[in-house]
Amino acid sequence: MSKYFNKEIFFYFRRVLTNPIDSFYEIRHREKGSVPLAFLTILVFSICFTMNRIFAGFIVNLVDPRTINGIDDLTRVILLYVLFCIGNWSVTCLSEGEGRFKDILTVTGYALIPLIITYIPAILLSNVLGQNEDIFYSIILGVGFAWSGILILLGIMTIHNYTMLKTIATLAITIVAMLIVIFLAMLLFDMLNQVYGLFYGIYSELTLRS
Amino acid sequence: MIKKRLLPLLLAVLLTLLLGAETLAAVDIPYDSYIYNYRGYIEFTPAPYIPDGNVGGIELGVGSFNFPRGMCVGPDGRVYVADTGNNRVVVTNPAMTEAEMVITEFTNTDADGVRFQDTFNKPWGVTVSERGQLYIADSDNLRIVVLEEGELVKIIQNPQSEMLEPDFAFKPLEMGVDYADRVYVVAQGMFEGIMVFNAEGDFTGFYGTIPVQVSLWQQFWRLFSSQEQRARQQLFIPTEFTGVSVDKEGFIYASCIDPQGTQAAFRLNPKGEDVIKKGENGNLGGDTDPVPDTYNVYSGPSYIVDIVVRDKGVYSLLDRKRGRVFTYDNEGNMLYIFGGLGTQSGTFRLPSSIAYSGDKILVLDTDRQEIMAFKETEYGRLINEAVGLRYDGDEKEAVEKWRQVLTLNENLELANIGIGKAYLTEGNNEEAMRHLKLGMNRTYYSIAFKRYRNDILKENLGNILTAAAVLLVGLYVWRKIRRRGRRKGEVMGDE
Repeated sequence: MSKYFNKEIFFYFRRVLTNPIDSFYEIRHREKGSVPLAFLTILVFSICFTMNRIFAGFIVNLVDPRTINGIDDLTRVILLYVLFCIGNWSVTCLSEGEGRFKDILTVTGYALIPLIITYIPAILLSNVLGQNEDIFYSIILGVGFAWSGILILLGIMTIHNYTMLKTIATLAITIVAMLIVIFLAMLLFDMLNQVYGLFYGIYSELTLRS
Repeated sequence: MIKKRLLPLLLAVLLTLLLGAETLAAVDIPYDSYIYNYRGYIEFTPAPYIPDGNVGGIELGVGSFNFPRGMCVGPDGRVYVADTGNNRVVVTNPAMTEAEMVITEFTNTDADGVRFQDTFNKPWGVTVSERGQLYIADSDNLRIVVLEEGELVKIIQNPQSEMLEPDFAFKPLEMGVDYADRVYVVAQGMFEGIMVFNAEGDFTGFYGTIPVQVSLWQQFWRLFSSQEQRARQQLFIPTEFTGVSVDKEGFIYASCIDPQGTQAAFRLNPKGEDVIKKGENGNLGGDTDPVPDTYNVYSGPSYIVDIVVRDKGVYSLLDRKRGRVFTYDNEGNMLYIFGGLGTQSGTFRLPSSIAYSGDKILVLDTDRQEIMAFKETEYGRLINEAVGLRYDGDEKEAVEKWRQVLTLNENLELANIGIGKAYLTEGNNEEAMRHLKLGMNRTYYSIAFKRYRNDILKENLGNILTAAAVLLVGLYVWRKIRRRGRRKGEVMGDE
């Protein structure tokens, strides 16, 4: 068994569902987490997300099939995930958070397990539901989202050794940090484009003059 | 011998030629026919109507029209054209081969009781009441002239009311007349709505006012603008009506230019409330997805200039911007779109009035100075008949028509819904589900699906219960065995 996928790691991976605070503590302080496993979770979540858009029953599925693109969904999910982790890390390392970047990645990835395990029955159920019964589909998905949200909250709280109030405050600031990161990234991209345009202009000027 | 052998060959050649001519006509249509589907994508369809020749003043033997503005078809099938530039009204026979009458003047009586010959000045719109009285909007004379067999019946002019400005100039453009001889007039610069006159010709009030639409964003900006700025801003005035048409039940259909491009047609009840039905995607404004492009004169929402009510609640709108004719059924579903701008025969330059005569749609083109006729194809006829049958409540007959429509255009959602509903009443849930899914109708699909699900459950209830019972017993036994095994292990471990 490798360092990232061994029996103990899987044990704590499963335990996130039943004893979240306990296993998040183990992940932080006894190295029982695995970043590759977290990324695998994200990948599976992305696949479930796309599956839901494709295979959810006709009654509940309002998605235009021409707009579905699994690769796009995957890149968006991963980008959002990494962005959230970077944002959270930048905020928490300034506000006495004990968690390392590795822990944030692991905890956020693990927190999506409930969403994965609710998507699959929701998709199956939506195919046998009629109108007026589609509330069950929404309830299942809602439960998944709420559960995952709570797990993220508990996870961030545990790994940084925060109080609940401080966790919520840092999460709010995390969103601001994410927006700042996006803004800076766009700025950088635009500047690079301008620089490229400048040099390309010089190049074309030179080639045309000579 | 040779002749006998030649005969079938000759027949075959003749037949191919005949059929070939037919297909050639279908290829030569100078415009695209399309429809918007559930998701708002354009789907091209077979042509519902094809050009069927143009008729101008010269063909009618009365000299060329001069920028004619209005046209209508009387209850007897005769076509009335307001030849605006020539100050006359031309009446043709139902086949539109010759002019039956040219009205240039009528006998009027002045205040002193002296009879004199009166003329028109820029007659804009014409309409014929059920009784055959001809209403002419004599726009520059600021009056409506009502004639019967060329004799004057009454003149509607100079409306008096507290609701009107004292110096209001009544310039009628378009009219509709209902069964009680009430006249519904679209007048120039009249934003309050349609003007209603009773049978005596007295102004009774406004009708069907379009509420002003101010977006949240505009309201937001108004909050921050000063008095001077507000004065300089564009006024928020309701859109004007452009055309009026009256159906057999006395409902008034009116068209307007909607800057949002979502509702250009109104169906007004006697109280003046809009009771039109909107279809699945809620669009009654013509082209649903106008590309915002400032450089392209053809972009933006449709500019609906006229409306005509046809049989069985079907109505057509005429768009001047792209020269299209949009047809909707009584439930607000789009049936078909055809027509286009251009200089080819069968395309418009400045369409201004639409009328309906039997299986033909007539469009008056002001710039071409011609009446352009469009006759229905098999595709158009089948849709019209199917919609008509459904309107009458004869769903079973309608299904046959929808089936035939589907062979010509597999993608038509309306046809799929029609067939799906029929299968549903028939009890064939599986086929109903298939067609209703193709027609994107979730409500009826759900009904079919629930029935289908119940059938499956009923058939397999015994099996499902047996499986569940076996599973439960199996689980129980398995746990027992496991527990016993564990206990044994413990005992053995102890020893």
